[in-house]
Amino acid sequence: MGKLLRVAIQRTVNAIITIFGIIVLNYLLVRLMPGNPALSITPRDPRYGDLINYNFRLFGLDRSPGEQFLIYLQRTITLDWGVSYRWNAPVLDILLRDLSWTLLLVGVSTIFTIVIGMVVGSYAAWKRGKPFDFMSTGLSIFLYGMPIFWLGLMLQAAFSPSFRPFSWWPTLPNKFYYDDRLGAWIWDWAHVSSTMLHLILPALTLSLGSLAGISLVMRSSLMDVMTEDFVLTARAKGLTERAVLRRHIFPNGLPPMVSLIALDLAFIIGGAYQVEVIFSYQGIGYRTIAAINDLDYPLLQFIIVIGGAAVVIANLISDFILLKLDPRIRIA
Amino acid sequence: MGTADVVLPASRVVPPWRASLTVAARRLEDVWAQIRRSRTAMVGLGILVFFALMATFAPLLAPYGPMERTPNCNALGQLCPPSNEHPLGTSFNNEDVVSQVIWGSQVSLFVGVVSAAVASVVGTAVGLISGFAGGWIDEVMMRFNDIVLSVPWLVLMIVIAGIVGIIDLWGIIAVIGLTGWSLTARVIRAQVLSVKERMFVERARMVGSSNWHILWRHIFPNAFPLIFANTILTVAISIISEAVLAFLRLSPPSVISWGRVINDAIQGGALINNNAGWLIAPGLCIVFLVFGFYLYGYALDEILNPRLRRR
Amino acid sequence: MALLEVRDLVVEFTTEAGTVHAVEGVSFELEHGQALGLAGESGCGKTTTALSLMRLLPSNGRVVSGSIRFDGRDLVKASEETIRRIRWNEISIIFQGAMNSLNPVQRVGKQIAEPIVVHEDVEVSEAMRRAGDLLELVGIPARRISEYPHEFSGGMRQRVMIAMALACNPKIVIADEPVTALDVMIQAQILELLERLKRELDLSMIFISHDLSVLAETCDRIAIMYAGKIMESGGTVDVFTDAKHPYTQGLVGAFPDVHGRRVLPDAIPGTVPSLISPPHGCVFHPRCKYAFERCPRAEPALATTTPGRRVACFLYPEVAEVPARSTPLAKP
Repeated sequence: MGKLLRVAIQRTVNAIITIFGIIVLNYLLVRLMPGNPALSITPRDPRYGDLINYNFRLFGLDRSPGEQFLIYLQRTITLDWGVSYRWNAPVLDILLRDLSWTLLLVGVSTIFTIVIGMVVGSYAAWKRGKPFDFMSTGLSIFLYGMPIFWLGLMLQAAFSPSFRPFSWWPTLPNKFYYDDRLGAWIWDWAHVSSTMLHLILPALTLSLGSLAGISLVMRSSLMDVMTEDFVLTARAKGLTERAVLRRHIFPNGLPPMVSLIALDLAFIIGGAYQVEVIFSYQGIGYRTIAAINDLDYPLLQFIIVIGGAAVVIANLISDFILLKLDPRIRIA
Repeated sequence: MGTADVVLPASRVVPPWRASLTVAARRLEDVWAQIRRSRTAMVGLGILVFFALMATFAPLLAPYGPMERTPNCNALGQLCPPSNEHPLGTSFNNEDVVSQVIWGSQVSLFVGVVSAAVASVVGTAVGLISGFAGGWIDEVMMRFNDIVLSVPWLVLMIVIAGIVGIIDLWGIIAVIGLTGWSLTARVIRAQVLSVKERMFVERARMVGSSNWHILWRHIFPNAFPLIFANTILTVAISIISEAVLAFLRLSPPSVISWGRVINDAIQGGALINNNAGWLIAPGLCIVFLVFGFYLYGYALDEILNPRLRRR
Repeated sequence: MALLEVRDLVVEFTTEAGTVHAVEGVSFELEHGQALGLAGESGCGKTTTALSLMRLLPSNGRVVSGSIRFDGRDLVKASEETIRRIRWNEISIIFQGAMNSLNPVQRVGKQIAEPIVVHEDVEVSEAMRRAGDLLELVGIPARRISEYPHEFSGGMRQRVMIAMALACNPKIVIADEPVTALDVMIQAQILELLERLKRELDLSMIFISHDLSVLAETCDRIAIMYAGKIMESGGTVDVFTDAKHPYTQGLVGAFPDVHGRRVLPDAIPGTVPSLISPPHGCVFHPRCKYAFERCPRAEPALATTTPGRRVACFLYPEVAEVPARSTPLAKP
């Protein structure tokens, strides 16, 4: 297993370099934002005049840019991320809590997406050319290209109290219930059930677009594999169609899908940002938009890094899964 | 029979540039014939033509200007519900929504196409250089690419929009173009790498062709179909990106695009005021336009990608 | 009673451009312990014939008429279940280009053992042991059963395919261009291997190739195919030294003689006809230098001139016309 380990380490190192790159990029971007950062962090109340100077020195704005960068780096690594001026709480705490909410949303959606998406895609590939294939493919392309924020709005409207075509049509909450004191993982039944209920619409919005994408990719990948010669060999061996699918087509169809999902991850997380804003779901996305609008500098400084790091780590994990699935990659 | 030399009469010899043009033209005819045969492509193309016409003839089609205050309605601050005069009602500023939707097509198409073109050009250039040069240039560029790909594009867009200050439409185009190139670059680079390996490039090099010549004559024509199909998909993404930016009110206030109209609808309480069309219509426009691009790009990909044709 | 008897096999493909008449009334026999060669240019229907024996045609192909008598049963009329049981168990096939014919994500031993487990009631461990033995048989160390296809060289992979083809001790092995993609040295090794196996295991083989020299070395009998029909058949040496059909003469004549004069051999003028609209009458007549008035009007049937020798050409008095068929060919 030496080869496997070596490739795994190589990928991890790449990921770390990428995250570092994100940190640098983030630093540059935020520094380029208009306005004196010190002024941005401090509320514009004359009472806080001293605070400006304090912040000024805290961020080392009186030093050279190079030194500023080093200070930034040091603070990043030591997890000393300051205090959000808008929310008046340590940035680290805010981000961790938001991350847990976002993970909940993305996690639930992703599971739903992958399971349903794979089933639909596989069935469409199996029955290619038949009506189910046309319909599901057409519908998938339709959903995939739909702007998520609009889909969210539509779903909100569809399940709002003012729109009830039938008496049994459910009304689903369109704003997320958020108790400041609780985190995402409290196991109180009332809390959990309320969370689940409020999660339905946002998760659905996020899932539909990705589900469409996955089913398209799955179908495409399986159809690619079906034309391969070794599938003919498998049939020639006297295997049943089902066995051919299970043992030869599927295992070969999966790796391309995993790598394509990984690539799509940045877009999926971008979608989560939109969903959070629409539904006032206070996760990383919501916080990011709010931070930009408020020019909440301390928060801004790290939230982009968190978002980017999440994508990199997700990609790394899928890389590992891919390594296990496809032995050919271990050579490359 | 036997080993007689074959000599072409002088009239049959054509200059090489003419030969390549003829070949290219024939190939285009062939592709066009296949497009016409494909139902998917024709439907997609139909949708695209519809919106292109809407955008081109907007001044003639729209009853009012995009920000024109219509006189025959309530006083400022109260918007009108749908009526015969205004099928989709009016906005807070008494602007006719139908007109806004029609004018919006111009923005979406223009921004979508141009920013996709920018992203494609940048992405192609990066991909070609990176794949062709190899070595540390390749490494550095790919690292950078990874980074840009990893940061959720929405965030990157918003931050850059924050920096650029959303001055005007070109700013928007720049923002979308500068965030959308990473995927194209990755794809093109992969293609270049695989083409580079092939024998005929080696042979061309042995014959003494310069690097530029190889790039232009051998690598580019092979990668071109891929670039083209990819660009179509990039346009779809650009349109959505523009809509998102507009929705978040990050685009210039003077630009009326579909995303902005949706945002206005929310702010103006479209649903409460019985004007659901205000919210639905621009959204549907985006959906169908993107749908058209995806259908067309999908079909084009199947036609241009020889591997897919086997199915 | 021959082991395999094919009579008037007709196979068609439905494509966008029209119906492809891939195999037009092909008849041959395979005796026990014999090696029959199917020769012809690319696209003449050799592989299609082989695939139809095991009902492995793609979805747009079908056997229109004819019979395939194997072991007393007609394979054209047999049930799916019967065919599945015959596949690999009694008739197996070695495909061209083993690189794509092996499942890249499955270990080689498992692939060889797979048909054994499917067709015989043995334990997996027993099947794997036999897989190892089969590898040894083809000259590969048994311990390599745990490796993946990409870890083998081209020639080795072909040996693996051969080992796999022998897994269930089939009665007939079809080899479809088994050495075409290999370099000459490896070609010789593989051919030697096949010959040895045929002798030691008393195999009956159908050898498909466009390379006459390969067939000349390995086959006892040979059938020359052109545009979906058999032009000539008989003992290999006989056919090559005394070619009766003009096409065969052209093929044989295309080989420069090492001992002869230094001239470029004559090429057969013209190109292979379209199988969608083949020429009326004798399918070879447009390119034949001996063609006369009868040739475009009627189709020559494969007839016996001397015992064991058959030709389909009006130059020979024994050859009669093929009765008109229900599927009309192109108009003259």
